[in-house]
Amino acid sequence: MLTLKNVTKFYGTVIGVNDITLSLPPGAYGLLGPNGSGKSTLLNLITGQLKPTMGSLRVMKKTPWGNAELYRQIGYCPGSEGLYSTFSGYQWVVYLLQLHGLPLNAARKEATEALEVVSMCHAMHRPIASYSRGMRQRVKLAQAIAHDPEFLILDEPFNGLDPVGRHEMTNLLQDWIARGKSLLLASHILHEIESVTRSFLLISGGRLLASGTTQEVGLMLANIPMEVALCCNQPHHLANLLMEKQMIDSLKITDQTLVITSDRPRHLFSQLPTWLADTPIEIFEMHSTDQSLQSLFDTLMKIHQGQSA
Amino acid sequence: MNPGNIGAVFFFEWQRALTPARVVWWFILTLFPIFIITLARLTFNTMPRYEHRPPGESWPQQEPWLLFLFALIPMLVSMLGSLLWTAPVISSELERQSWTYLAVRPHGKTALLLGKYLAAVTWVLSAALLGLSVCVVITQAEDPWHLWSTIAKLACISCPAYAALYMALGTLFPQRAMAIAVAYTLVFELVVSWVPAIINKLTVQYRLLALLQDWGSITFGNEMLILFGYSPAWIHLSMLAGSTACLLILSIVMVNLRELTTTNGTEG
Repeated sequence: MLTLKNVTKFYGTVIGVNDITLSLPPGAYGLLGPNGSGKSTLLNLITGQLKPTMGSLRVMKKTPWGNAELYRQIGYCPGSEGLYSTFSGYQWVVYLLQLHGLPLNAARKEATEALEVVSMCHAMHRPIASYSRGMRQRVKLAQAIAHDPEFLILDEPFNGLDPVGRHEMTNLLQDWIARGKSLLLASHILHEIESVTRSFLLISGGRLLASGTTQEVGLMLANIPMEVALCCNQPHHLANLLMEKQMIDSLKITDQTLVITSDRPRHLFSQLPTWLADTPIEIFEMHSTDQSLQSLFDTLMKIHQGQSA
Repeated sequence: MNPGNIGAVFFFEWQRALTPARVVWWFILTLFPIFIITLARLTFNTMPRYEHRPPGESWPQQEPWLLFLFALIPMLVSMLGSLLWTAPVISSELERQSWTYLAVRPHGKTALLLGKYLAAVTWVLSAALLGLSVCVVITQAEDPWHLWSTIAKLACISCPAYAALYMALGTLFPQRAMAIAVAYTLVFELVVSWVPAIINKLTVQYRLLALLQDWGSITFGNEMLILFGYSPAWIHLSMLAGSTACLLILSIVMVNLRELTTTNGTEG
């Protein structure tokens, strides 16, 4: 579905995407990265709005730059708003369908169906200016799916949605995947992508840092140093135990919480229940204190650059 | 490319043209020449030469009205209306971030340009022709049909020509479209077109003035002939048609070659 070979994109002297090589079969993928990581540049390359400075890419076996045939097969929902506020959602979707070459009557029919899918039938004849942010997002999604593309590309589709809207959007995208269609969903929030798909592409600084399922990415991170907080009844005893097992690089105790840094967290997590079995130590809660997405990216970036994490 | 795509943009742009702000602009463009001609008419009424005119004579002859209406309709209305519509053809879509939706449609960029071009030409031309019709009635000229048909023909030529010109500038310089279009107009169309040299032949204004001289049967002196030369009307028409076609092709090529994307807050 998507093949990138050493794709690099410069904006003058600024690099947007840096030497990405990737091959994805049809399916659903999340493109995860912090703001400014190059997600939108990558999407612009995939949707043929930008040409790679170096390298080559093919989407559904076609070069995307200005490829009219490809545009019939993809649906794109950009992160920007860009709607005409004086028009209704229905008029806007009909217009964009006409630009796909549909006659007016067919465009009207398809637009109504797409707006039904995103639950916008009740308000589709109201001016877009009167829509909430969530309604606008739904109209944006409707214009992307109205011509029934094979491959749907979404840039931050959850932006501005309330919890109910997020739930509905998640269901919509899950239905889309269930129909056997392909999806690429860009977001800077892990949870948003996890709710739709388990396959990730992690991008930061314009580089593709990792790709795979949640478990695969988790395994990659399992043996890099990690800060772990353990809430327990006897933090000092637990610290002693872990020092005896040579599991600790550094430690800090505050109240009933032991915060350790370990360079073998995978081993620690697997053995800890055995070690605690014959002791009076009770652990109430255990979590990584370093699980923010940014730290994940920082760690992957260091690995990518050949530095120790 | 499906011509229906161009039609879709054309009708959509006409719907946009019916928003209050654009309707106000349309009325300003229509009413301004009417206002000026009315003032001129009132002024002529009070001039001693015309106040006690003998029967059947003495309203200003055709030529002053032709020149007046030329300055107001093909120059001002066509030029200004086209500039306002077509110079920001790309920049307005980029600024409002609607560009992306149109750019990912099959031949969407070309359809957008041509649809907007046709909408601009018809929008400006409708204002120009209505304003001209009322103006001709107000002038009470001796040959109103000749006056109307001469200026109407020039308006029908100037609108597409200026629209293509400003559209080309808008696609070449999308970030500074309006400023460059205004600067070009002031320097080339309003100054250079009057310079008796080869460069003035590159302006739309030169061709329009030459056609006015020809079709309006205006008896300019020899000094003006240095400016306009002796070329027949078909040469000027061919040059205008050719340059309009070339500018449209240039716009289409530029918009399809350039990497234009909207900037947005979610740039990731």
